[in-house]
Amino acid sequence: MANVGSAVKSRNGVFRQMANQKYLIMLALPAFVLTLVFSYIPLAGWFIAFSDYQLGFSFFSGEWTGLKQFRLFFGETSDAFNIIRNTFAMNIMSLVGGLGIAFVFSLLIKEVASGKAKRLIQIITFFPYFMSWVILYSVIYSLFSTSSGAINVFLVDIGILKEGLNILGDKKYSWTLIVLVNIWNTLGYNSVIFLASISNVPADLYEAASIDGAGRLQKAISITIPYMVPTLLVLFIMNSGWILNSGLDQYFVFTNPTNRPTMEVFDMYIYRYGIKLMNYSYATAVGIIKAIVSIVILYGVNMLSRRLSSRSII
Amino acid sequence: MRKARPFELLFDIFNSILMFVVVLIMAYPFLYVFLYSISDPAHLKAGLMLWPEKITFNSYKVIFANPVIINGVYISIARSVIGTVSMLVVTAAAAYAISKKHLIGVRFLRVFFILTMYFSGGIIPAYLLVKSLGLTNNFLVYIIPNMVSVFNMILIRTYVESIPASLEESALMVGANELQIFLYIVIPMSTPVLAAVGLFTFVNQWNSFVDVQIYNFMKPDLYPLQYILFNYLMSQSQSIEQAKRTMNVTAISPQSLKTTITIITILPIFFIYPVLQKYFVSGLMVGSVKE
Repeated sequence: MANVGSAVKSRNGVFRQMANQKYLIMLALPAFVLTLVFSYIPLAGWFIAFSDYQLGFSFFSGEWTGLKQFRLFFGETSDAFNIIRNTFAMNIMSLVGGLGIAFVFSLLIKEVASGKAKRLIQIITFFPYFMSWVILYSVIYSLFSTSSGAINVFLVDIGILKEGLNILGDKKYSWTLIVLVNIWNTLGYNSVIFLASISNVPADLYEAASIDGAGRLQKAISITIPYMVPTLLVLFIMNSGWILNSGLDQYFVFTNPTNRPTMEVFDMYIYRYGIKLMNYSYATAVGIIKAIVSIVILYGVNMLSRRLSSRSII
Repeated sequence: MRKARPFELLFDIFNSILMFVVVLIMAYPFLYVFLYSISDPAHLKAGLMLWPEKITFNSYKVIFANPVIINGVYISIARSVIGTVSMLVVTAAAAYAISKKHLIGVRFLRVFFILTMYFSGGIIPAYLLVKSLGLTNNFLVYIIPNMVSVFNMILIRTYVESIPASLEESALMVGANELQIFLYIVIPMSTPVLAAVGLFTFVNQWNSFVDVQIYNFMKPDLYPLQYILFNYLMSQSQSIEQAKRTMNVTAISPQSLKTTITIITILPIFFIYPVLQKYFVSGLMVGSVKE
């Protein structure tokens, strides 16, 4: 009897608590419903990867087809190989190149004597980061289109090139293009973070080094760089967890039929097969593969991070 | 004064040159597009330039006389403003709620929100859902799916937790409820973080174009500026004849039009950029404190 009594009492307690907190619940409710609808319900859509889905019917109405779509992706064509290779190659090179160059660049900004110049350099290098990929594409197209791009024309005029390089269309330039554009785009962002870690170096360390007769190079090597390395590691680890989700926008503007074999990444492939060709089941299956690989990477990176820096990224 | 070492002097010279080159690489592409847009196409030679050729604002006049572009400006502004305000309302309300440790089920709620940062159903299930909700070919697709930002929610919650508890307690004492506390204490006290988060949302909304391509490409009335530019850039080998037909213009080269639309699309971001850059640095700090 006592148990029943306390169960009733605690249920009443919950209701009373809910009544007391009705305003807090009201405040949380819209976000809760929206997240449920737009983040959790789509997970039910994974079911269509295993069935013969028809547009306009419910997710669960199609006939069960098992792993057919997955076999298609891995077995029938070389698509799987190309997509996985492109995704990893471009994103890893962009990450390593972007962080590496920003690391060196921050060290060099620190050595600029004038504070005003420092700020100006930072403001200007940060600018491309806030531009949409449409804008960046437009700007790059004006400079690098094969026949009328300003830089191509200039290089032909002074005789370095015979004809303009087809950087935006030729598939042999895809990776170079993406990596360089990414370094250009993220330099300001990454160096803000590195400069923050440089500003954490206690000033008396430099003073002590000066008294000992250390030059700027020695100070950079034995004081500044050791202070920056943990930040570099954290940035590297955190970003590598997101390597498969590196933004659809960017590849949306740079992928075209002529450079597709070396430019197409997971999301573009899913977009092409799902939205354009309306092969929903197949595209969803590829999406599931991407999600699984992505979670494995995130998990692995998180373990590595715990071991290296005793910091968990999740 | 310290004796200058020859090596260090050499380094300073080299470093200054390098910094100049980096700044040039960052800024010149945008400068070039601007110069092109205000040059007279008849006098333009292809190739690099440092000065506009015969300044003219013809292409700007043409662009602003074009109803398609004007509509695009309206759509861009509408999605950026409405999208930002609605995100702030929904996300800040939830951030305040989950900052309260005594809220019933708060631990579940926190995990419920944070998990969504690490997985998603993917493009196709999201597309099918949005379609079945009747949000395709609909302005609201720019707004509703973007109302909750979990990343922003964490930033706001961290800030809200730093507001002295005594303020809220004294409000409770005089009989205020949590809704009133949220409206009259938490929101005014959180303006710095709300401004920072709002600015980034504004920029994200302004810069979006992929959602237009996926959900609204059948509805030219709903094209924002970015997407109009995207379409125009992607229509390969855009001849002058085509340009005349689609944009209803004469005597202006397609490249002039492209550069002009590009500049117009950059402009709002350019004007808020100084504030943006300042806030970003502090926003990063808020984020790293949380980490």
